[in-house]
Amino acid sequence: MAIPRIKVNHFHTFYYQYESTLLDALEVQEIPAPYNCRGGYCGCCKVRLIDGEVEYVRETLLDMDEGEILTCCCVPKTHIEIEISES
Amino acid sequence: MSYSTFNPSAHDATLEPMFFGRSVNVARYDKQKYPIFEKLIEKQLSFFWRPEEVDLSTDRKDFMNMPEHEQHIFLSNLKYQTLLDSVQGRSPNVAFLPIVSLPELETWFETWAFSETIHSRSYTHIIRNIITEPSEVFDQIVTNEEIVKRAAAVTRLYDELIELTSVFSVHGAGQHVIAGKTYDVSMRNLKKKLYLTMVSVNVLEAIRFYVSFACSFAFAERAIMEGNAKIIKLIARDEALHLTGTQHILNILASGADDPDFKEIALECKDEAIAIFAEAAQQEKEWSSYLFRDGSMIGLNAKILSDYVEYITNVRMRALGFEDMFPAAQNPLPWMNAWLSSDNVQVAPQESEISSYLVGQIDNQVDDSDFDDFDL
Ligand code: FES
Ligand SMILES: [Fe+2]
Ligand SMILES: [Fe+2]
Repeated sequence: MAIPRIKVNHFHTFYYQYESTLLDALEVQEIPAPYNCRGGYCGCCKVRLIDGEVEYVRETLLDMDEGEILTCCCVPKTHIEIEISES
Repeated sequence: MSYSTFNPSAHDATLEPMFFGRSVNVARYDKQKYPIFEKLIEKQLSFFWRPEEVDLSTDRKDFMNMPEHEQHIFLSNLKYQTLLDSVQGRSPNVAFLPIVSLPELETWFETWAFSETIHSRSYTHIIRNIITEPSEVFDQIVTNEEIVKRAAAVTRLYDELIELTSVFSVHGAGQHVIAGKTYDVSMRNLKKKLYLTMVSVNVLEAIRFYVSFACSFAFAERAIMEGNAKIIKLIARDEALHLTGTQHILNILASGADDPDFKEIALECKDEAIAIFAEAAQQEKEWSSYLFRDGSMIGLNAKILSDYVEYITNVRMRALGFEDMFPAAQNPLPWMNAWLSSDNVQVAPQESEISSYLVGQIDNQVDDSDFDDFDL
């Protein structure tokens, strides 16, 4: 399967380098993605998934609305497009 | 409706509401109405730590070398944290256990409160290590005007709820006059009080504590009081669970899915709920002026801390579906994130949250033959 491509609003599009989480992937790209616990239980890393699919690699303790993902807990499964809210 | 320590009725707890249904019968976790609370319990247990594991020997030296106004900041902050955890170590149990109806939520309250007692014990550990006479610090917690003022706001709703549910437990629902005082113990008023108490607990865990964490970590950002910061990091990891727990409870209540009354109550009490956030934010700002009254420290002053109060208040209000109370702004303390992350918490391997280790612990599927390849 093709290497997932990650498109982020207001930032550049890049290829996933198989970091252990999407949050790590964003940080490697120096995209200021929000986070706190990095453990799936604070909800700070929530972003909108506009397009594509992610795969959860860690259990989360939060209920997500449709179209929301926790970047500290998942990796891209296909090409994805996400939206990080400002502030 | 009097409380029973063991309700012998054969009812199915998964059909009860979270609160004010039948009291819990069997403490069983095989079926859960809300698996989230079971997950929180497991996570909290996997976080178990002991304050004595953290070495504070260099903190004492750091503390003695600090200018007086920084000692004031450090000790006042520690006193406030001690107050908050004194409240949290007992109140969820006293206030919520008599009225909870789900076993997983009941156990979450107990697990939550227990972790708060570890926090309290850690303050004793810290104070003992940096001060020769710990009483000097502890005794002032109940005499310091600034702290007492905030204690009243922190505990008011808890105390009112406990008073109401005590009357309810003895006299049942209705209007009761006891020793000349009238109590509105209607189910509606009980639920309202519970909802507002949960909001104020959320404010305590999600705003007040985080303001105090900012102060603790500001010292460690300068590479002083690092043992203290290690402990506060472990406390902060627990607090993130607690605030997730209260957010879940509040969001479930407000959805009306658990008990339709609460949907109305959440709407009806919206202004009061917002006022609880506003009061806390205001007090936390006043507190930052008190902390820095004799001078700022590198990296933190009353203005930056007040900006953080506004920032964190917005974040927490959004999580509950409220509008921002303050103008939207970036996090004024970006370095907080690294301290609030559980990724690099250093604990002994058997206490870390590596899930493979936990899975290994409870895996009964291992067959004797699986060990055939081991040479002992
Ligand atoms: S950083 Fe806390 S849930 Fe992802
Ligand atoms: Fe605590
Ligand atoms: Fe807590």
